This record gives sequence, C-alpha cells and structure tokens, in this order.
Amino acid sequence: MRNFRKNTFKNTSRFVLLALFISVGCQDFLDKKPQGQLLQASFPVSASDALLVDNAAYASLRNWYFHSGGYPILDIMSDDARKGSSPADQLNTIGPYDNFTINTKQDGLDRWWSAAYQSIRSANVVIKYVPTITMSDSMKNQYLAEAKFLRGLVYFDLVRAWGGIPLVTTPDPPLGLGNATADEIYAQIIEDLNFAVAHLPKQSAYSPSNLGRATQGAANAYLAKAYLFRKDYVNAEKYALEVINSGQYSLEPNFNNANGLAGNFGVESIFEIGALPNDGNENGGDQYANTQGIRGSPNRGWGFNRPSINLIDSFEPNDPRKDATVIFLGEVLDGVPTVGDATCPDTTKVNGVIIEIECYNQKIWVPGNSISSEWGHHRRLMRYADVLLMEAEASNQNEKTAQALIYLNKIRLRARGGNLAILPDITETNQGLLRDIILNERRHELAMEGHRFWDLVRTGKAAEVLSPLGYTSRYDLLPIPQTQLDLSQGRLKQNTGWNN
Amino acid sequence: MAQTRTIKGKVTSAEDNQSLPGVNVLVTGTTKGTVTDVEGAYSLDLQTGETAISFSFIGYKTQTIEVSARTTIDVVLQVDAEILDEVVVVGYGVQKKSDLTGAISSVKESDITRIPSFNAAQSLQGKVAGVQVFNSSGQPGALPIIRVRGVGTFNNSSPIYVVDGVILDDISFLNAADIQSMEVLKDASSTAIFGSRGANGVIIVTTKLGKAGQEKTVVSVSSEYSVQQVGKTIDLLNGKDFGAITNEILPNTYNNLSALPNTDWQKLIFRNAPIQNYQISISGASPKSQFYFGVGYFNQQGIIPKSSYERITLKFNNTYTLSKSVKLGNNITLAPFQQQVAPDVVYSAYRAQPLRVPYYNDGTFGAVPNVGNPLAQLAYSNNFNKGLRLVGNVFADVTFLKDFLFHSSFGADLQFNKSNDFTPAYTVFNPDGTPNQQQNLLSSLGKGSSNSSTWIWENTVTFNKQIGDHRINILGGYTMQETSNEFLNIRGSNIIRDLPELRYLNNPLYFYDPTSNPVVNNLASINNGVDANLYYSLISYLFRVNYTLKDKYLFTASFRRDGSTKFSKANRFGNFPSVAVGWNTMNEKFMQDVKFLTNLKVRASWGAIGNEKINYLKQYSLVTANGATSPVFGKGNNLNSGATFDVSGNPNLIWETTYQTDIGLEVGFLNNRLTGEFDYFNKQTKDILVPLRTQGYFGNGNGALITVNAGTVLNRGFEFNVAWQDEVKGVKYRIAFLGNTLHNEVLAVGGTKGIDSTLVGGFLGSGQPATLSRVGLPIGSFYGFKTNGVFQNDAELKAYPHDSNAGVGDLRIVDVNKDGKITDADRTYIGSPIPTFIYGFNFQVGWKGIELTTDFQGQYGNQILNGKEIVRPDPYNFEKHVINRWTGEGTSATEPRASFGGYNYSISDRFIQSGAYIRLRSLTLAYSLPTAWLQKVTLKNVKIYVRGTNLFTKSSFTGYSPDFGSGDVLSNNIDNGTYPVAKVYSVGLNVTF
Repeated sequence: MRNFRKNTFKNTSRFVLLALFISVGCQDFLDKKPQGQLLQASFPVSASDALLVDNAAYASLRNWYFHSGGYPILDIMSDDARKGSSPADQLNTIGPYDNFTINTKQDGLDRWWSAAYQSIRSANVVIKYVPTITMSDSMKNQYLAEAKFLRGLVYFDLVRAWGGIPLVTTPDPPLGLGNATADEIYAQIIEDLNFAVAHLPKQSAYSPSNLGRATQGAANAYLAKAYLFRKDYVNAEKYALEVINSGQYSLEPNFNNANGLAGNFGVESIFEIGALPNDGNENGGDQYANTQGIRGSPNRGWGFNRPSINLIDSFEPNDPRKDATVIFLGEVLDGVPTVGDATCPDTTKVNGVIIEIECYNQKIWVPGNSISSEWGHHRRLMRYADVLLMEAEASNQNEKTAQALIYLNKIRLRARGGNLAILPDITETNQGLLRDIILNERRHELAMEGHRFWDLVRTGKAAEVLSPLGYTSRYDLLPIPQTQLDLSQGRLKQNTGWNN
Repeated sequence: MAQTRTIKGKVTSAEDNQSLPGVNVLVTGTTKGTVTDVEGAYSLDLQTGETAISFSFIGYKTQTIEVSARTTIDVVLQVDAEILDEVVVVGYGVQKKSDLTGAISSVKESDITRIPSFNAAQSLQGKVAGVQVFNSSGQPGALPIIRVRGVGTFNNSSPIYVVDGVILDDISFLNAADIQSMEVLKDASSTAIFGSRGANGVIIVTTKLGKAGQEKTVVSVSSEYSVQQVGKTIDLLNGKDFGAITNEILPNTYNNLSALPNTDWQKLIFRNAPIQNYQISISGASPKSQFYFGVGYFNQQGIIPKSSYERITLKFNNTYTLSKSVKLGNNITLAPFQQQVAPDVVYSAYRAQPLRVPYYNDGTFGAVPNVGNPLAQLAYSNNFNKGLRLVGNVFADVTFLKDFLFHSSFGADLQFNKSNDFTPAYTVFNPDGTPNQQQNLLSSLGKGSSNSSTWIWENTVTFNKQIGDHRINILGGYTMQETSNEFLNIRGSNIIRDLPELRYLNNPLYFYDPTSNPVVNNLASINNGVDANLYYSLISYLFRVNYTLKDKYLFTASFRRDGSTKFSKANRFGNFPSVAVGWNTMNEKFMQDVKFLTNLKVRASWGAIGNEKINYLKQYSLVTANGATSPVFGKGNNLNSGATFDVSGNPNLIWETTYQTDIGLEVGFLNNRLTGEFDYFNKQTKDILVPLRTQGYFGNGNGALITVNAGTVLNRGFEFNVAWQDEVKGVKYRIAFLGNTLHNEVLAVGGTKGIDSTLVGGFLGSGQPATLSRVGLPIGSFYGFKTNGVFQNDAELKAYPHDSNAGVGDLRIVDVNKDGKITDADRTYIGSPIPTFIYGFNFQVGWKGIELTTDFQGQYGNQILNGKEIVRPDPYNFEKHVINRWTGEGTSATEPRASFGGYNYSISDRFIQSGAYIRLRSLTLAYSLPTAWLQKVTLKNVKIYVRGTNLFTKSSFTGYSPDFGSGDVLSNNIDNGTYPVAKVYSVGLNVTF
C-alpha cells in the first residue's frame, strides 16, 4: 500500500508535469481578443460597413484642423483679412501669417498637414477595402467615387499649400516616403475626380436626407478649379460648363443665403461641410465659425480672421456684399446689436491712419442664441458663384470674352439685389483688363471664404498686392512643417526658400 | 556500572525572553540528544563521562555548557548576529543567506508593524537600501509609491508583490500584523526568475503560520489608537496683508485694511483625526498541521473631514501533512473595505482669499470668488468607494524520489469594487444675494462597479541535494496566469431629495426641475468596458540552479521564458536569463586566522529582466466610431453613423528589458557586532515603450502617438547598509545606517531631433507642461525659465533681453540660448524630482523590558516644483514670501513686484524648491512587563508602548510634506495642493497568551 501510494504520487507528478508542459501550454491561452474593440483586420467587410467607412471620410472634413490647422490662415495671409481677435491673442501663433513672418515650426502648419492626411487615410480605407466587399457594383462604385472625390479635394488643398508632398493612396503606406512632385499630385487629383464624375450621381438624384454627399457636379467643379490652377483654361472652361449646363444649380436670390443657414444644402451649394449646432466635433459641431465669431457682445466666438480695411474700402460703391461680408460694430443681427469686445480696440491707428477696425466675418454668421449655434455653420467649399466666375475667367483666357461677360454679369446681377443703381454690368472686352475685373469680382463675391490668397498666387498678382504686407515669393508655398521634416529622418525636402 | 543522571532545564531566547521550542540539545561528542518542547523545556539522561551539552537553534549562537554537578540547566540563547545561516525567502523558494548570490533585503515583523498605516509597504521607507517610498496623497487608503533602485521606465515603474506565491500589484488588503517578513529583491540574480515582471523589483511577502513543533496555541491581541494632525501649515497672507497687496496691484480696492475679515482657511479644513487598529491572531501547530488565524480591524479618519478608510482583514493560513510525502496548505485573506474620498480642498484653501468669510451671519456658506468655499465643497461631498478583496492560494507539496519536491499552487486575486458619489443641488450666494459660481443646479449621482479576477497556477519541481562538498538546488517550473476585469459606471442627476436611501438611479421619484423642462430620465451617461491594463494571460517556464561548492564558491543561474497576450503572436515570448557568482571568503583556510573578521563575502550578478506593465491594446489597430467620425447630411441635418480606422497599433512591440549588473560585498567584524552590506548596481532599461509621433502622411491624425520600443534609461548607484549592535551591562543596542546614491539618466527617447526627442509631462492645472525628459536628463526633469534677479530700473530693463510683458520690478529671465530674445526656447532644465541620495538611520536600545526605537529617514538631491503657486488665472491668496516683494529700486532682488499672475508666474526656477529632508519617521518607547509577573496570570507577554510617527521633519520645502509624489514618473514631485501626510501620536498594547 505504501509503495503503491508512493508510486502513485511519482506517476501522478510525472503526469501532472507532462500535462502541464504540453497540453496547457497550447497557444490558445495566449490568444485574447481585445474587449469592446473592433479590429481593423475585420473591418470593413459588409455593405453596411462600407457605408460606415464612406461616411467617416466625410466626417473628417468637420475636424477643426482640416480648416488650415484651425484658423482661416489663408484669408489672414491675403489682403482681405487681419489676424483679428484682441491684439495680444495668438499674436505669436496666428499673427505671423498676417505679417508674413512665419517659420517652419509655425503653429497650425503641422495640425493642418496631419489633419489633411487623416482625411486622405479615411478615404483610402474606402478605396482599398470597399472593392473587396460583396455588394452591388453600383453601390461599390458610388462609395469609391465619393471617397476619390474627397481624396482629390484634400490633395488639392495640400498641393496648393505645399506643392510636392508625399503621395499616399493606401491606408497603410510604406515608411520613408519622400516628396512626390506637384505634377504627380495633380495627376492623382484629376484621375480621382474623373472617376468621381463617371460614377457619382447628380445632386437631384440624391434623396433630401443624403444632400451633402459628393455629386457629379461637385467633381466637375473641382476639375474646373484644378485645371484653372494648372492654367489649363480649355479644360477649366469645359468642366465649368458641365456644371452650368447640368441644370442642377443656380444662384441663391439672396446673397446672404449663399453662405447662410437658409442656404444650407441649397441651390447654390455645390459642396459644403454639414454640421450640427453643438459644441464639439464629437457632437456633430464644426468649430470653423466659432473661431471667427463675434467677440464680446453678443459672444459668438473668438473673432479671428477680421475683414481688413483694404477689403472694406475696395468694394464698389453701395455693393450690398460689403455689408453681407462684414459685421460692423452697431450692426443688429438676430435682433442683437453688436457691441464688440472690450479687449479689441474699436479702431487701431498708426500715424493717425486707421489700419484696423473692430469688425467680424459675416460669412460665417449663424443666427441663434448661443456660441453653439456657430458650431452649426456649414462651410461652403464650392458654390455655384465660384463656378460661374471660373467659367468667366477661363472663357476670357480662351478669348471668349462675350461668354465670359455673360457669366460674370450673372454674379453682379444677383449681387445687385434688384437695385439697378449699383453694380452695373461689365462690358469690358479687353482680355487683360477683363482678367483683372474678374479677379476683383472674385474678391468681392468670395471674400473671407478662403479663396483670395491662392487666387493672387495663381494669377501672379501676389507680389504686387501682398508685398506691402510682407509677402515674398517663398510664400507661394508654405514651409513643410519642421516636425514632419524631423520625423522623416531627412527624406522629406523643404520647399524653396524655407531652409532656415 | 554506568551511572545515569537526568538533566532538566528550559531554553529561552535572549532577544525576547520567550521560551524556545525546537532547540537541539546534544550531548557533546555524541549523536545523542533531544529537542526542547513548546515550553522550551528539555530533559536529557547523561551517562558517566558525558560532561557537556550543547544547545543549538537556527538563528541563535550555539552554546556548550559544562554540566558539572548540576541537574538543572536553564539556558539563554543569544541571537546569532551572524545572520549567515538565516533563511531568506527568494523567488519560488528559500535559501540560506550564506548561499545567496543576489541582493535581497529583508524587513522583519517588528519593523513592519511600526508605521500606523493600512499599507505594510509604508514600513519599507528608510528600512531598505535602494528603496524609495513616497505618497501620492495623505488621503486614507491612498497607495504608497515604491521605487526600487530608481526609476527604470517612463511607464509603470512600480515593483510587483508576491504574497505567499500570488503575484500582485499592491498589498493594501494585508494587515501588517499578519506579515512575517518582507523581502525586497533588487538585483537581476534575484528578480530574473520573475521574468517579464521583475524589472522594477520584487517584494516577497510571507504571512504568518504557526511554528512547526509549537503545540501550544498562541493567542495574540493587539490594539493601537492614534491621533493624527497636519504636520505643518503653509505660510499664507492674512487678510490685512492680502488687502494691502491687492491695493498695490489694483489701487483703492480696500480702504480700511484693519476692518477686513481674516479667515485662515487651512485651519478650517484640517482636524485632528484618529486611527484605530485592532487585531487578534491565533496560531499553533499539531504534529500534522500548522495554522494561523488573524482578524484585524483598521479605521483611519483623515485629517480632512469626509475622508476615511476602514478595513477588516481575515487571514487563514493552514498546512496539513497528509502523509510523509504530501503536504497541503492554504493562505487566504479576505478584506472588505470602505473609503471616503475628500474633495480637493487643500488646493482651494491655499487659493481662497483670506478676506472671505466662511459663513455669513445667517450661517450660510460665504462665497469665495474664483475658488469656491472649501467648507461648502466639503459639506456637499459624498464620495465613497467600497470593496471586497479575496486573495489566496491552495497548494500541495509532494516529496518524491527523496530529493525532489513538487509544488503546485493555485492562487486567486478577486476584487469587487463599488463607488458611489453624490452631490446635492446647492448654491452658494454672493454677499449681494446673487448666485456664486459655486453651485450645482441639479443633484448628481454616480455609481460605479468594477471587478477583476486573477488566477495563477504555479507548478515547480525542486531538486535539492548535498553531495560531499557540492550543494545543488535545481528548480524547474511552469506557471499560468489570467487576469480579466470589467467596469460599469453610470451617472445621473436630479434626485428628488438628498437622502442616502434615495441614492439610486432607478429612483422613480425623478424630480421635476422647475427651471427647465420636466426631467423624465435622469440617466446622463453609461460607461461600460474593460481596463486594458488588467486584461491578459501569461504563460511562463522557469528554471534556476544554485550550486555551492565547499560553502565557499556560489553559483546561480536562472532563466525564465514568458509568453504574454500583451504582445503580438510573433513577439509574445521573451527570455530573461541571469547568472551570479559568490565567494564566502571566511571559509577559506587563509582567512581562518583573521580574527576581527566574521564574514566577508563578495558576489556579482548580471541578468535581463522585463517590464510588461503596459496596456495590451497598444499592439492592435482598432476601429473608431463616434460622433467625430459621423458626418451631417441632409436638409434635416442628420448625424449619419460613420466608422473608420483609428490610430495604428504597433504589432512589433516587445517587452521593456532591464539589464542589471550588481556587485556586492558583505562584511562582518568583531563577531558580527559590526556588519555591512554594500552593492554597486547598474541598471540599463532598453526598449522602453514610448509614445512617438508618426509621420503625418500615415494619416493617424494631428498629434497621434504610436507606442514604440524606443527609450533607454540608466539607473546606477551605490547601496550600503551598516549596523553596529552590542550588549553592554544588560543594555542592548543597535545602530544602523543605510541608503543609496542614484544616478538617473535618459539615454534615448526615440527621435534624435524635434518632437520625438523629448517627452513632456507634468501638466499643471493650466495645461502647461512642467517636465521634459530627454537624453542626458533625469526622467521627468523640471523644465522652465532660469531667473537671475529682478529688474531694478529702466536702464537695467533696457540692458537685458526681456519679454515684452516684462517691466521694472519683474523677474529677469536668463537668455539661455543667447539669441538676444526671451522666448520659449530659453526654457531649460531647472531641477529633477529624483533624489540622488536616499537614506535611513535607525537606533534601538533596550534594557530590562524597556525599549526605545527611533527611525530616521531622508533624501537629498531632488527638487520640488511648487505647481500650486504657478497657476493663477484669478486673484488668489499668496504665500507669505510675497511680503518681501519689490516695491522700488533696491528693495528686492528675488521677489518681483506684486501681481495676481501673468509674467512672473511663468514656470521658472522661482518655483523650484529643494526636496531634501530628514525626518524622524518613527519613535517608539515600549515597556514589556516582566515575565515573572505575567506567569502568575498565565500571560506570556504584555507590551505597552507610545509611538510618534513623522514627528519631526527638517526641510526647506514650504508645502506640507516633502515626501509626496506621483506614480506618473513624468509628473513627479509637482505640488498641486497635495493632501498632506499627517503627524501621528499612538499608544498601543500587545498581549500574548
């Protein structure tokens, strides 16, 4: 008995050991799934997943940093706007964009860069994975076309801001990408937009609840714009006319609605970023307008991007668009008189000359009784007026002056608002003079909407107009953020003139 | 005819006059002998010619006594100061101290119970060379922070605890009185057997068990009552001075300074508070079993109202010998606790203006602008945590083939926690009757529950054999562990009445809120998930060989292979080896004649140990779906659900690995009256997980961070522990001095330039980072401006580069980069939170039952950032030094002109203070009643004592207590208004029968 027991224990222990080392050691024990988390490896795999990734690609546009790093620096860099807010507020972060003293580490640059590529990634998720999902070809192509439209849209911002940047067309790009050329980026943009034109529905084909998704018209409009920036006026004219002749769009009778609440997803809106009047991107809000909203009383925001005296004074006599672009002190909006902010001087003078007055950007104004209402502003990225002006510009370049005047005068007609005493039709037929008139019309029609700086650069007017403000030709492209250069371990090359 | 006579007697210990059971009593020159019984008594028959008996017992000096004509021989055995044969608990076993090749420090029972704390780890402070103990807070129940040999990672740098074989992260469930010993494993030779979890040190805790052979049951009752008070308060301005300075900043604010109120807010928030600590334990043994049963009750009220910690501990340790070869056992602790957490009134009392009254004449709370009335904060706070923790194991030991021992232990750590916080609706009113910002319009109730469970199954086989001069011990093992958890937090508002019995979220009596719409559903948020740090499995293979040749040459090698779910399949397993050698020189012939030396041992070890305390999700690329990934479409502005890829994970992550070299020397002089232990250590942790930026084009988003094995940190230092003990004319005393130096340096962060070459942390309330870790600096170094005076006049202002906000009377910031401008680029290293020298000094003296024990402890070479003084967006009260402010040329070169904030309150060396201190950690005067008296009432031991804890601290720090810190190594030693650690006075009574 004793021996038996001893042997039993001996054997038991051997078995126990054997069992432990072999059977329990199976790897299953170490395969734990993350709890409450979905892995990228298993997403997206279904038609409903496809819709989710497609939607997320749009949502990335609402990211505050998508808007040039959070602040409308492009307007601030133009002759249309000053830094704004109180004099000391963000003096060293946003101020340098106003007076052209930025450096490669300037606040905002890296945020914009990173946010733009984040949008591109969310589009690339759709482009890479949706083709592998079993679903109808038409829906597949629609999602792909939406994503390619969005990718083209964001690359268009990136290439205009920085020129030759890394070209990423997959959500898992290789390490160590260097600069592509601007031509390569444009080729990708045009390829993407062409796909979008081929597969996107017209605006009218969308149900009301889907307004805001990319359309064939939007893709055509961006093709026109891309070609305009490439100085390919034949194609610019062609695609602008595609939009005009599509019959999908018209001008809002009331200029205020071109950017205002009542024109959200309206007849003039070709592409806009939808948002809810809630604080916080995660709650559906978009901080773009809050950044620029009225300071003080009523309090609607931070007051950056202040219309410049130069812009205010440049409007033709009695152009109603002046008042529709600028909120002046005393102006009554939404039943509330604008009193302004104690920390902002009502007028700022240098040597007795007024160089700035306290005023705010009215293009982003949203009626409502709180700051939250500003979060619901729908930023218009492309409106029909822009297409008409692009067509006018391209036609003029293509020596179709009469055609140019037709579209240019549609803009003035709407701006006139029925007041025949103002904004007479343009009749100029000299191509060079008309070119300047159209550029000037763009300035007043699209003021404070982020177009002016790039328009000046692409038309070669930047030196003439902006030099007094501190511009030099190196500002045609922004410096690639120093952080990105550092992280690239030398693979990314800095833009001309910024190696300091 | 041989004559037989019987010798009888009793053996007691010189240490505590207790009888010693189990003492070997041998007739000298024979193998004949006996063992003392539980009472320490023995009886031995001697034949003619047998003239001497020797008494030997482990841990005591062997005595040989000539019998001569005596028939009764009582012996008092002296404790063997030569601790060479002491048995030390090591990982997965025990070892003779003389055979040790690793650096291990032991803390014994009597030292462990000397600090009136719920957490026994507090007793390590000043007791173990190489160990730093500090406090995140004085809030009762707040965990102490332990660092063993410096800070080895940017991440979790805390050691693990091994309680009776169960590996844990903290021991707050243990009653100190139930602990037999704590062993701190410091070098690679001792910690590498814990593989991926040993890098931050290992603290092995052994709980009590009845002694084998001790047949009489021992009952021990002890009680201690303490009173705590705040050690010191901060010198702040009184009402009059504050009014005067306000008038200087904003002229004519107050016109009658002497009529201003003067509220000492600190006085109002602190109280004297008791700690009660009682326990009963019963321990004993039978030939086939040993047991220990302990019940403890601990109740600490905080020195700030509405803070407390209360715990009951039940401890059951048993062993049962089933047969000659099989022993079973269990070690089980059950600990229910309840904690009340005070709101952060320390910071409020610091900032509150003295000109505000705590109460108006009608008894309602007075408003304190911008800060809130600390007393109202307290009155409306009801924040409770309670829980139950069950930790224990059952084990079997099977001896087979004579020299093999199979040990299998199944352990578990089960935790059930609940939280309950309630804030009633209230409003504090301004003097003019308008509502102050300090208000809560709707009552708010939060409930949380979390549970976590760990099971750990450990199986080891040990082979132990002495063959001639060779002593061999081989250990092989296989262990498995699984940890999981889940939490559920819900929050709601608007409970109809402020009654404890109505604090439930399904309360049907939702209050109709007259100020807004009727509130139908008061549920505001639900949060349910898993703490990713506590969700993993681990499989380990372990192996160790100890080899001792002729008691002289020692060799140890260990190896552990760990597989963890925290890493991807390819990187799941890590190998952690160590080797060590030792030389007991005293056993060499040539040392035999060196009489003054009792012990001289040298040892050296090297090994690689891991740290796997990371969030297991870091390896995964996840999908994100929330409001920010959902676009708004349509005329009706609908939020459409969207989901996309979140920041990429890093499947290539591996363990952080610490490579540690240790060279040690142990000496004993004059029969070990003087002993010393010295170690040099060099720890280099590589592959530290660092959150790094990735290139923007990957599309992870602005500021997105990916965890990468990229950091390297060095900790090196010198440890010493020197003690002198002796007995002179019945007066026994012991003096010990121990400590360590520490050099902590970041050797790599990730990138070599730009944003990835630094790690920032220490974010103050304003969001400004106050620390920066980069190559060449200690971890968590303070980073800010250097100042060198105050601008005395315009000429001086013009002569120096200065910030546009600086004027005469303001601080002169040093243009560190010498570019002629003061910019953020001039910020520089201004201090380190890591002490370069930590020490303890202990003195014990005893005479006839009276014993005096004093423990001093301190540190040197670190700095503290007075963060609470920096952040002042509003006019807060000032520290008293502002009195000496600059008021005109030549008035002060250090204290700038008065201002409520702004330029002079940028993070600068002005707010850096020395963290050096020396403290009388513990002073105990005890009296044990004479045994002779006690025997009459069948008591074994009665001891009464008075004790003071933290009685005296010498420090130039202006805050409450310099021994505070943060578990976040990047945010350490920043005083943001920390709940102070108290000064404690105790009386206690221990009775054993």
